[in-house]
Amino acid sequence: MKASLSAPAGAARRPGKRLVSAEEARRLAARTRAGRIFAVVTFIPVVLAVALVGVLLLDTLLDTVSWQIVEPSSSTSGESFPWSAAPLGGREVIRLDLAAQGETPEDVQAFMNDPEELRLFEARGRIELMWRTEDGPFRWVVTNSRDDSVADIGLFGVNAYLSELRGELAEDVEDLDPAEGGLLGRLQGADLDGLFNRFANIGLLSSTLGEDQNLYLNPWLDLSFLTKNASRTPVVAGLKVALLGTLWVMGLVILITLPTGVGAAIYLEEYAPENRFSRLLELNIRNLAGVPSIVYGILGLYVFVRLAQIGPTILSAALTLSLLVLPVVIIAAREAIRAVPSTLRQASYGLGATKWQTVSEVVLPNAVGGIVTGVILAIARAIGETAPLLLVGAVGFIAYPPNGPFSRYTVIPSQIYNWIAENDVEFAHVASAGIIVLLALLFVLYGVAFYLRRRFERSW
Amino acid sequence: MTTPTVSTEPNTRANTHVGAKPFDLSQPSVRTAPVSDEHAVVSIKDFNLWYGNFQALHHVSLNIPKNQVTALIGASGCGKSTLLRAINRMNDLIPIVKTDGTITYEGVDLYDRAVDPVEVRRRVGMVFQKPNPFPKSVFDNVAFGPRLNAYKGDLNALVEKSLKRAALWEEVKDKLKGSGLGLSGGQQQRLCIARAMATEPDIILMDEPTSALDPMSTDRIEGLIHEIKEHYTVVIVTHNMQQAGRVSDRTAFMHLGVLIEEGPTDQIFTNPKHEMTERYVEGRFG
Ligand SMILES: Nc1ncnc2c1ncn2[C@@H]1O[C@H](COP(=O)(O)OP(=O)(O)OP(=O)(O)O)[C@@H](O)[C@H]1O
Ligand SMILES: [Mg+2]
Repeated sequence: MKASLSAPAGAARRPGKRLVSAEEARRLAARTRAGRIFAVVTFIPVVLAVALVGVLLLDTLLDTVSWQIVEPSSSTSGESFPWSAAPLGGREVIRLDLAAQGETPEDVQAFMNDPEELRLFEARGRIELMWRTEDGPFRWVVTNSRDDSVADIGLFGVNAYLSELRGELAEDVEDLDPAEGGLLGRLQGADLDGLFNRFANIGLLSSTLGEDQNLYLNPWLDLSFLTKNASRTPVVAGLKVALLGTLWVMGLVILITLPTGVGAAIYLEEYAPENRFSRLLELNIRNLAGVPSIVYGILGLYVFVRLAQIGPTILSAALTLSLLVLPVVIIAAREAIRAVPSTLRQASYGLGATKWQTVSEVVLPNAVGGIVTGVILAIARAIGETAPLLLVGAVGFIAYPPNGPFSRYTVIPSQIYNWIAENDVEFAHVASAGIIVLLALLFVLYGVAFYLRRRFERSW
Repeated sequence: MTTPTVSTEPNTRANTHVGAKPFDLSQPSVRTAPVSDEHAVVSIKDFNLWYGNFQALHHVSLNIPKNQVTALIGASGCGKSTLLRAINRMNDLIPIVKTDGTITYEGVDLYDRAVDPVEVRRRVGMVFQKPNPFPKSVFDNVAFGPRLNAYKGDLNALVEKSLKRAALWEEVKDKLKGSGLGLSGGQQQRLCIARAMATEPDIILMDEPTSALDPMSTDRIEGLIHEIKEHYTVVIVTHNMQQAGRVSDRTAFMHLGVLIEEGPTDQIFTNPKHEMTERYVEGRFG
């Protein structure tokens, strides 16, 4: 097979079997070589880009997991429970934990029957399936926000943590009692520099734990991350408020831009007369698509928040972002409409269709794939926008999810920004988890756009 | 060659010919056995058409007889399609087009201000050079026209009748729900003819309907044109002399936007009166 593929080139090179003159064959070889070099040269940036994105993604993903040493507060037992003990999770774990603290079954039942107590407990505490604990893999842990976090160690940071500990212990080795001297000895005996034994020292790490301390591998990004409200405490901070904010804003943006954008595109493509005014309009739309987003933020602040008195609410954000994406939506929709072959329009007119019938029965159904794809891609762009929203209300700490277009809000990117700006280093993990969710959301949107493009693909 | 009714200088040829005298754009058309106004269903009178500043039709007058096939022939760019589209006002879709003169259909001037082009196209259907079925099912393609006007009758029966007239029914009766684009080129063109007929027009305009098709499909469509003229008046543009000879009753020859000669097809082909017509039908021209 291989031989037959390369046969033409081989045959051309074999003396006496040339299809073209020697001179021409030489030039052909040079052309082929140039093409090959060019292909490689253009491929390098692709490799670089993919590698860079891959590294960033991997780094963020790894950052969403960390080892934690925690000293439980008095309201948690400090024990972990096997996954099989409460396969349905949640409430059942609270019951187990209360029992482990020595509460009588009656008290536990009373607690479980009191919705207010339960709500408070759930707001404060994180009931989590940890991937690894000292007691073994996949165990339920109740981590209260008042638990003391002794140390937060990155997934690959165990060795660094241990060697730092070794340094500290070695400094004041004089006033060590024999037991701790043993620890120092173990630390000195361990290989902490190897590249591939980062996980081998987990056992050593657990042996450094003090009384009542627990070691967990904390997956910051799990389902509960999406259902928890915002919090000042990293363990119980969740994305729910920002996620709902983003969904609300984007939903409204779609509701606003789809009809206006498609309407404008239809007008410009099918109805607008060819004159100076429509050319000016077209030029403006193209230019508006390139205006920096912060300018839209200022516009939104002035027009919607102040002038229209909508305030720093979801509606203001949606209106501002709608302005931002509208030019892109219009351009995409116009291109989709223009891609509908004129032969179909002619067929429709030829059958006695009015202009509107042609637009609605022939043009739009055939352009819908392109339009929807364009809208989704525009929305995907808007989801990541932070700057304009900072001006129209997406700032600061919003504790509760939005309940309508007039509530205050935050969106995922600005929530991530807030987390990164926090003092507490553990918020870095929370922020990473937020970034992953944002990327996943974008990925889903691109997936939908891809699917729709396939679904509505036409061969005329 | 019989004496021409109009004197034609041997040298008045196309101005595309190097060194030739300019072509006389205001020369009168040569007519053999002209169709009287009473027998014409469409009557084109002194019709001019401009694309912007370019005049594509010059003082064209032509009577089209009812239930007959009229062929328009002539070299590429001579304005055949333009004239054809003028009959159902498809040219209105091009913003730069200006017209003057009249085209009357059963006594009504189609270019009267009071006439809605949509109405015109309801009575004058069109089949295009390239088959252009909608990306819809076969049924929906045929039913498209009737539905536009909220057809009150039995749509299924109408679709069946139209497909039968287009000699397509036997081939598609089991796949009416299938896509119109799933048919072969020839079938697609017959589907387009069925689609045009389903709006129950009186006139069907065909612009080189077989130029994208193989000989077999061409054959079928030519046979079809023969059959449907019992119900419709057909005007067909073609580059194929044999085809014009086979399907049409009358033929009109155009050159550079001027109607040079028109008459019964056999007369035009066997006994052309204008020297340019003669050269064109003999294939020595254009
Ligand atoms: N939309 C248009 N805008 C400007 N000029 C046009 C347009 N359509 C046609 N023309 C011009 O009008 C003249 C007649 O064109 P038309 O399409 O009627 O020719 P035709 O006889 O159908 O040619 P063909 O046999 O190649 O189809 C040509 O010179 C053409 O360049
Ligand atoms: Mg043409």
